[in-house]
Amino acid sequence: MDAIRVDRLRKSYGKDAVALKNVTLSVGEGELFFLLGASGCGKTTLLRTIAGLDKPDSGSVYFGDRNVTDVPTHKREAAMMFQSYALWPHMTVGENVAFGLEERGVDGDELVDRTLEALKGVRLEGYEDRKIDQLSGGQQQRVALARALVVRPKCLLLDEPLSNLDAQLRVEMREEIRRIVKENGLTAVYVTHDQEEALSVADKIAVINKGRVAQVGTPEEIYREPQSRYVASFMGEVNFLSGKVAWVVKETDEGYVVRVITNAGEIMEGKVTELGWKPQVGESVVAALRPEVVRFDESGDVINQIQGEIIQHVYQGATIQYLMKSEDGIYLQVAVMNPGKLRKAGDKVTVIAKQQDVVILRP
Amino acid sequence: MNNRRATIITVLVTLFFGVFFLYPVFGILKVAFSGDDGFTWDYFFTVFGNPNYLEGLWNAFTLGIVSTLVTFLIALPLALASYRWVFPGKVWLSVLILAPLVLPPFVGAVGVKHILGVQGALNAFLIDFGIMSETSPTDWLGKNKFWGVVMMNALHLYPILFMNVIAALNKLDPAMEQAAQNLGASPWKRFRKITVPLCMPGIFAGAAIVFIWSFTELGVPLVFDYTVVAPVQIYNGIKDLSDNPTPYALVSVMLIISLLVFAVSKLLLGENNLGSSTRPKARYMQKTLIGFKGWLISGIFLLVFLIAAVPHFGVIFLSVSGDWYGTILPDDMTLSHYGDGLGHPVVVGSIKNSLIYSLGATFLNVVLGLAIAWVIVRSTIRGRTLIDGLMMLPLAVPGLVLAFGYRALSEGSFSWLVNSAGDPIFLLILAYAMRRLPFVVRAAVAGLEQSDPVLEEAAMTLGASPRRTFMRIGLPLIGSSLAAGAILAFAFAMLEVSDSLILAQQAEHFPITKAIYSLLSMLGNGHEVAAALGVWAMAFLAVAIIGAYVLLGRKGGGVFRL
Repeated sequence: MDAIRVDRLRKSYGKDAVALKNVTLSVGEGELFFLLGASGCGKTTLLRTIAGLDKPDSGSVYFGDRNVTDVPTHKREAAMMFQSYALWPHMTVGENVAFGLEERGVDGDELVDRTLEALKGVRLEGYEDRKIDQLSGGQQQRVALARALVVRPKCLLLDEPLSNLDAQLRVEMREEIRRIVKENGLTAVYVTHDQEEALSVADKIAVINKGRVAQVGTPEEIYREPQSRYVASFMGEVNFLSGKVAWVVKETDEGYVVRVITNAGEIMEGKVTELGWKPQVGESVVAALRPEVVRFDESGDVINQIQGEIIQHVYQGATIQYLMKSEDGIYLQVAVMNPGKLRKAGDKVTVIAKQQDVVILRP
Repeated sequence: MNNRRATIITVLVTLFFGVFFLYPVFGILKVAFSGDDGFTWDYFFTVFGNPNYLEGLWNAFTLGIVSTLVTFLIALPLALASYRWVFPGKVWLSVLILAPLVLPPFVGAVGVKHILGVQGALNAFLIDFGIMSETSPTDWLGKNKFWGVVMMNALHLYPILFMNVIAALNKLDPAMEQAAQNLGASPWKRFRKITVPLCMPGIFAGAAIVFIWSFTELGVPLVFDYTVVAPVQIYNGIKDLSDNPTPYALVSVMLIISLLVFAVSKLLLGENNLGSSTRPKARYMQKTLIGFKGWLISGIFLLVFLIAAVPHFGVIFLSVSGDWYGTILPDDMTLSHYGDGLGHPVVVGSIKNSLIYSLGATFLNVVLGLAIAWVIVRSTIRGRTLIDGLMMLPLAVPGLVLAFGYRALSEGSFSWLVNSAGDPIFLLILAYAMRRLPFVVRAAVAGLEQSDPVLEEAAMTLGASPRRTFMRIGLPLIGSSLAAGAILAFAFAMLEVSDSLILAQQAEHFPITKAIYSLLSMLGNGHEVAAALGVWAMAFLAVAIIGAYVLLGRKGGGVFRL
């Protein structure tokens, strides 16, 4: 049974601004599910619709097998953590956290105990009498988390919970959120625009683009086997080479592999990832390969081989990022880990990628 | 769901507003413009054909213009100084110069009469020092009634403009001026090219209010016997209301002029938000003036306060004077007027009446204001900007006009508002409430705009119902703004003159202002008892306004920013 399911959700603001176009998704019990997308793609609207703060124009939201589409927010038991934290400035830390319990009729010792326990859970013991404006950004973030968790919600909804923190704290807190979600066995939906954040802590990611679900999958699937040009480029740096299918190499249940002659004449071979799409000979496609799958190799294999010269390099410590230009004028990013030899601008080079690292996509 | 509720509120409030505000106003226009054969300009032209009315209108108009200019001269430098500099005693001086707000100007005028009159304190002072001959003292007010009214108006109204300008300046993003400075503009050029243009809407909105108030001021001209002025002519014309449409036409002329001024200030300058951000990133860095310069500015503020407080001192001295005639200070001091006042049936009743009327009006305002503000800020229904504009209309319609409309209707379609004993309590509560609604709406809107709706959503995701969310989160967060708006509405209701003079007919229903006015014509110690009552009102309102100021803090001017 899915913990949360949204079915053909549509939502528009006014005539032209469509936020959600027919979105269908399922979130499994105990899953940490990410909604990833650029700003304005509709991911926050989707989260707010799940929370009951926005009403869809059509479509349904299910919690388990219960249709909650018309259930008001306060009866959904979906606690939400807001991007701005939305901590109430006229209450103390303790009062903020206790609020949801009070609304559920919890009182007396239980109220105090559970509040303190929740604060302890986010490592804020002894902060219950502080005012909100006496806390740092990281502490506020944890109060907001405690406030949402203390009511033991059916699901936890997180709207860019880390975007107001500095880079280092962000890395720490995302691990912390994952730990808490897993320890409590919660189902969580997490909205972010940060692909690194999504890749590093998600069980599953849904990439949202212009109000539609572009792809759903595990972080590895999303990163290594993007099913569209949009997902490929959104999830990190990627080189695209345009060309036409020359030969279908393999057509089995495990995959559909084609050989492509690029516009510049290189021979690229890779796997078609888009479901149900079988490009035929002569069809225009792009070959996508990430900078880190490309390596310098002059062994002579002509498949997935590109020749050119180094234009510039960027030293990044653990890696060196080269920009090279192929003989026929295509620019490529090449990332090399633990570089032994530094190549200079103007050096002639040959690079190669493995077939399983090349993805063939619609142009 | 949200919008359905918003629509219901809008319809109800608009209906209410239509019945108790627009209907009386249109009622006046209807009588003024309908003759035996339908629409007619006859009465309208009668007004302009009558040299007496024409002179009265002209006097009222010039009173409005000149009062506004003088108000400007006082308020603008003070506001700029307060915005730019820190000087000794600034916090207290900023509160002190708001003092004029606590005294109805016509009561102050009584005090001034005892200072500037033929046998007043000033002449006594001049005679004592041999500057003026004892046998032919100057009649300062008799000769200069016009300027007397201008002075009272300006001294009463400058705080409103002052707060308006301060609020406009505070809304200005300091980066605007800094950018000009960075590009090499001199301070004077910065002021002329950046600050003034960007603050213009705020300044003009304030000026429009000041104009309308002084254009339609009734109490002060009455006290100064300045009879050839339109509001007084209307007041006197009420006596033969029934069969004469000319007073209606005169009221209509005043209404149209007021509406025009208001419309011009709104439309021409618009609701522009040039150069302002709701929350400027940086606060303007005020310069601390030390030494002579600082004390000079403090001195100017103190001087303005002292001049503005002359009427107050006049009233206070009058209230404790046994005999104040031809001397600088009263000859002997006595508290007996306070005692006489408390023994006087009109006085005691009037305090009770004023409290009931004002509290009733304030309650109505808070309920209506909160509901409207919620619709304006939180809902997305179409036409909510229209509602916003509609709610500001009472500022453009002079109190005199509305009072006149209510008075005319009290014998017709509003007769059910006056109970069988002739008690106009509901009439007065409604009249008070309608005119002060804009203040409460503004305050509630400001409060709601500053509180992020996410704070309410957070409560709902934690299981709080909409009602509980409002009680525990929404209301506490806007509470201080709302309370401040309510206090101001209450204070202005207590000070209300036009409605009170026109609508309360029998002594047992008089509010404080009408009681004071009627005491003035009482023989014996009428002036002194009236002054004693004025002092009570003053003390009471001082507490209310300081309370509002403290609650709102720096946002104080926002309530007057309309």
